[in-house]
Amino acid sequence: MTTVVAEQHDLDARRARVRAEAVLASRVVPVARPLDEFVAVNPLAGFEDQAFGDAVHAAQELYGIRGYLPETSYRALYHQGRIVEADLRWAIRTRPPLEPDGSAPHPDRQTVGAESALVDELLTATIPEPASRSVRTAAEHHDAAMGTDLALEIDQHAIRWCAAYLGAEAEWRLPGREAGLYGAWRDLVVLDPTLDPGARRLLSRLPERSDDAVLDALERLGVDPGQHRCVFRAELSALPGWAAHIRWRAEQHHDIDLLDYLAMRLSYTTVLVDRISDTAAGRAWSATGLGGSASFGMSEAPWLDDPGRFGSAPTGGGDAGEGTLDARHRLDIWQAALERGFRSQLLDSLGGRRSFEERAVEPDAQIVCCIDVRSEGLRRAIEGQGRYETLGFAGFFGVAITWEPMSGGGAVASCPALVSPRHTVAESATGSVREMQRYRRGLDGESGALDGLHDAKSTPGAAFVLAEAVGWITGPAAALRTVAPRRWSRATRWVHRRAVAEPASGVELDGIPLTDRILTARTALTTMGLGSFAPLVVLCGHTSSTAANPYEAALRCGACGGHTGGPNARVLAAILNDAEVREAIRRGVGAIEIPAGTLFLAAEHDTTSDTVRILDPGSIPPTHRGQVDRLRGDLDAAGEQHAAERCADLPGAPEPRHRRHARRHVARRANDWAETFPEWGLAGNAAFVVGPRSMTSGLDLQRRVFLHSYDAALDQDGLALETILTAPLVVAQWINCQYYFSSTDPDVFGSGTKTVHNAIGTVGVLAGRTGDLQLGLPRQSIAVGDQLVHEPLRLLAVVVAPLERVASIIDRNPSLRDLVAGEWITVVARADPDDEWATWTVQGWADHDEGARR
Amino acid sequence: MTYRDELAPMVRIEVVVNGDDVALVRDLLQASGVGGFTMVSGVAGLGHAGYHQGSLLFNEHASQALLLAVTPADRADALIAGVRTLLSERPGVMFVSDCYVGRPEYFA
Repeated sequence: MTTVVAEQHDLDARRARVRAEAVLASRVVPVARPLDEFVAVNPLAGFEDQAFGDAVHAAQELYGIRGYLPETSYRALYHQGRIVEADLRWAIRTRPPLEPDGSAPHPDRQTVGAESALVDELLTATIPEPASRSVRTAAEHHDAAMGTDLALEIDQHAIRWCAAYLGAEAEWRLPGREAGLYGAWRDLVVLDPTLDPGARRLLSRLPERSDDAVLDALERLGVDPGQHRCVFRAELSALPGWAAHIRWRAEQHHDIDLLDYLAMRLSYTTVLVDRISDTAAGRAWSATGLGGSASFGMSEAPWLDDPGRFGSAPTGGGDAGEGTLDARHRLDIWQAALERGFRSQLLDSLGGRRSFEERAVEPDAQIVCCIDVRSEGLRRAIEGQGRYETLGFAGFFGVAITWEPMSGGGAVASCPALVSPRHTVAESATGSVREMQRYRRGLDGESGALDGLHDAKSTPGAAFVLAEAVGWITGPAAALRTVAPRRWSRATRWVHRRAVAEPASGVELDGIPLTDRILTARTALTTMGLGSFAPLVVLCGHTSSTAANPYEAALRCGACGGHTGGPNARVLAAILNDAEVREAIRRGVGAIEIPAGTLFLAAEHDTTSDTVRILDPGSIPPTHRGQVDRLRGDLDAAGEQHAAERCADLPGAPEPRHRRHARRHVARRANDWAETFPEWGLAGNAAFVVGPRSMTSGLDLQRRVFLHSYDAALDQDGLALETILTAPLVVAQWINCQYYFSSTDPDVFGSGTKTVHNAIGTVGVLAGRTGDLQLGLPRQSIAVGDQLVHEPLRLLAVVVAPLERVASIIDRNPSLRDLVAGEWITVVARADPDDEWATWTVQGWADHDEGARR
Repeated sequence: MTYRDELAPMVRIEVVVNGDDVALVRDLLQASGVGGFTMVSGVAGLGHAGYHQGSLLFNEHASQALLLAVTPADRADALIAGVRTLLSERPGVMFVSDCYVGRPEYFA
C-alpha cells in the first residue's frame, strides 16, 4: 500500500514538473491576442532579460529569424548617405572588437588606422548566407536523418485540430470540445481517415490525461528529464503562430492547455515514428536516432548547457571568421550607426532655453491627446490654428475600465494589456424613455436582420436560397461599394440612422467609488503635468475606422487594448467635471485647483479619416457653446491639414489641390474595402519624449515620436515619472519592437502580405488556405512593395528630469532595468536646458556624445 | 495537551513571483488539487537581485505577488516540485513550513 502511495506521489510530482516545464518553455513564444483585441507586443518579450543582440541570436536559433536588416541594406544606406561615416566610427568605438580572450581591446587596436580598417571590413566583408532555425523537433530530427516528411505531416494535423477547436465562431463546433483540446482530439482522432489503421490503433491507446500523454511520449522518445524544456521549445516554435495564440488563450481564458497541444504533437510524433520503425530503415534509425543521442539537433543550442539562460557570448573575440568582426558583430555596429543618425538629429533639434520658458499667452483651450505617434502630427496642426495648448498622455487617460456600450454589444476591457480593468462603466441614454424604447426596437430589428442574414449564409441549404433570393442585388451593391466607397459608406450610415435613432448618451460613474475617482483625477493631472487650466480642456482619444480590415484593432488605441479611446476620455472628463472630485483634489498635499469656469470635454480622433468628433455634446453648458463651436471649426481645419500632410506618404494618394480634397481622399481610403494601405499606423516610430511640450513645439517630428507631457516640478516624489517609465514607455517599447521585427523579418514575426490573408473568425489570419497563424503586422503596415517605409530603429527615451530621479526609477524596477541595460531602449536625460544630454549606462550616466570625438 | 492535538497538520507554501508568473503558480495550484489560496499583489522587498518596487500604478506584470496556500501534505509534494521547476528559471522565492488549521475540511 505504501508503495502505491509513493508511486502516486511520484507521478503527481512528475506531472507538476512537466506542466511547469511546458509553461517555462512557452515563454520564448510571443503572445498573440485575437484580431479584435490586437495590440502590439514585442515578439521577443520572452528574451527581454537578455541583451538585445543575445536575444536576437537565441531567437534566430529557435525560429530562424532575421533580427537586423540584411547587411546589404545597411551598406546601401551608407552609400545613400543615410548612415554617415562619423556615426559608423562612433559605433565601432562604442562596440569595439574584444581580444580573443574576451578582454577589452588593446590600445593598438583602437587607433584611427585600425578604425578605418574596420570601416573597410564593414563595407567589404563577405556576407554569410542567412542561418536557418537550428533547433529541431523530434520529427524534424527524424526527417533530416531519414528523408521523411513527418514534421510537415504533424504540423498539418496540428493545424487542422487547432483550427477546429479554436475557431469558436465556426458554425460547426468540434464535438466534445468541453473535454479540452486533448480530450476532444483523443476521442475523435481514432476516426481520422487520413491516418492509417495502425496509427489509429496506436492513438486509441493514449492515456486519458494530457500530462500523462506527454510523459509517455517523452519516455518513448528517450528524452532525458533535463531536456524536456528543450523539446517543448522545439515543438512550440515549429508553429509559433498557433503556439502564441494558445499561450494567450491558456493564460487569459483557460479554455485550452499548453500541455494539450504538446500532448497532441508528441503523440503524433511517437505514433508516426513507430509506424516508420516497422520498416528496416526505421529500425536502423531507431537504434541510433532519438533513443541514441537524444540530441534533437540541439546540441548546439546554448540552453542545453544552462537551461536557465540563453547564450550571452560577447561579440567579437574568438569567432572572428575571416576578419576582425564576425557577422553578428557587424550587424550590431551597423544598427547602432543607423540609430545614431536619427537620435543625434532629434536631440540636436530639441529646444534649449526655449523649453523651459513660461508660456507667453494663456491658451483658449488645452487639448490632451494620446502619446501615439500619430497624435504628434495632429497636435502640430491644432496648435497652428490658434491659441491652443496640447498635451500628451496615455490614451486610456488613466482610467482602466470595462466599458459597456449602450448598444448592448459586448463589454470590452478598455485599458492597456499591462493592467486589468478596475471598474465597470456603462454608457447610458440621457434622452427620454420613449427615445430609448425606439432605439432598443431599432437595434433589435437591425441585429435580427443581420443575424438572419448571417445564419442564412452559413447554413448549407439556406445559402443557396439566399443566393437565389438576393443574389441579383449583391452584385451591383458590391460594384457600387468598390467604385464609390464613400457614397456606399454614406448610404449605409443613412440606413443605419433611419433604422436606429441613437439617443443622446452619457457615462454612469456609479461603478467608480468617490475615493477612486479622486485618485484617478489626481493621478491623471499629475502624470500629464497639467497644473494650470484653460476654460476648455479637451481629452481626445483616438480610433480608426476601416473597411474589410482584419487588422483594424492594430490601428486603434494600443493603450485601450486595441479599442477606441473615446469611452476612456468620456469617463475622465466626467470625473474631472464632478464637483465633489474637484473639491477633494483642491485640498491636501499636492492640491490642484481647477477653476470653476473650466470645462472638461471628451473627443475622438479617427486617425484614418483625420476627423475629430466632440463627444457628449449634450454636456456642454451654454457658457462654453460658442467656444466649442470655434474649436470644432479649428479641429476640422487641423484634420484637413494633417490629412494633406499624410497624403504625401500614402501610396497611390494624389497630390491634393486643396486640403479638403486630401480629407476626401483619406475618407475614401477608410471606406474602401479593397484598400490595403488605409493608413500607416505607427510606422516610423523611433523615440519617446517625456517632458514639456515647449521642448518640441514647432518641430515637425514626422509622426515618429511618442510625446508624453511631464513637468518634473509638479512631481516632487517622482511617482508620476515612475508611472510613465514603467507603463506608457513599456507599451511604446512593445509597439516599437512589433514594428521593428515585422520589418526585419516580415515572414516569421510579420504576417506577410494582406492580399492572401484568410481570417479564421477573430482568432487570426492564415496566409492562404492553411498553415501557421500569422504573427505581427502585415507587410502593408511597414512597406510598399520591397521598399520599407518603417525604418527599424530601437526606441530612444528622452526624459527631462533630474538624472538621479531617472536612475533611481530604473534601478528599482528590474524589468525596466533589463530593457535599458539590454539596449532594447536607450534612455537619455537632462534636468536643465543648459545641461548636455546624458545616456544611462550600467556604469552610470555617460555624456551622450562620448565616443563621438577622437 | 497542546493546541496541536486539537488541530490538523498542514503544509503552508508561500511563493513570491513576478506578476507575469502568477498565472503559472495558480495553474500549478489547481493542477495539484489545492482548492484555495491567498494572494497579495504589488509586494515590495529586497532580494538577491536588488530592491523590488511594490505596486506600480499601471503595470501589474512588473511588480511581484505573494501567493499563500495551505494544503494537506499528500498534495504538497507535487506543488513544491512544480514551483521548484518554475523557480529554476524565473525570479522568486518559495517558503515551505508546517502549520496547523482548525477546519481541515476547508483544505481538503
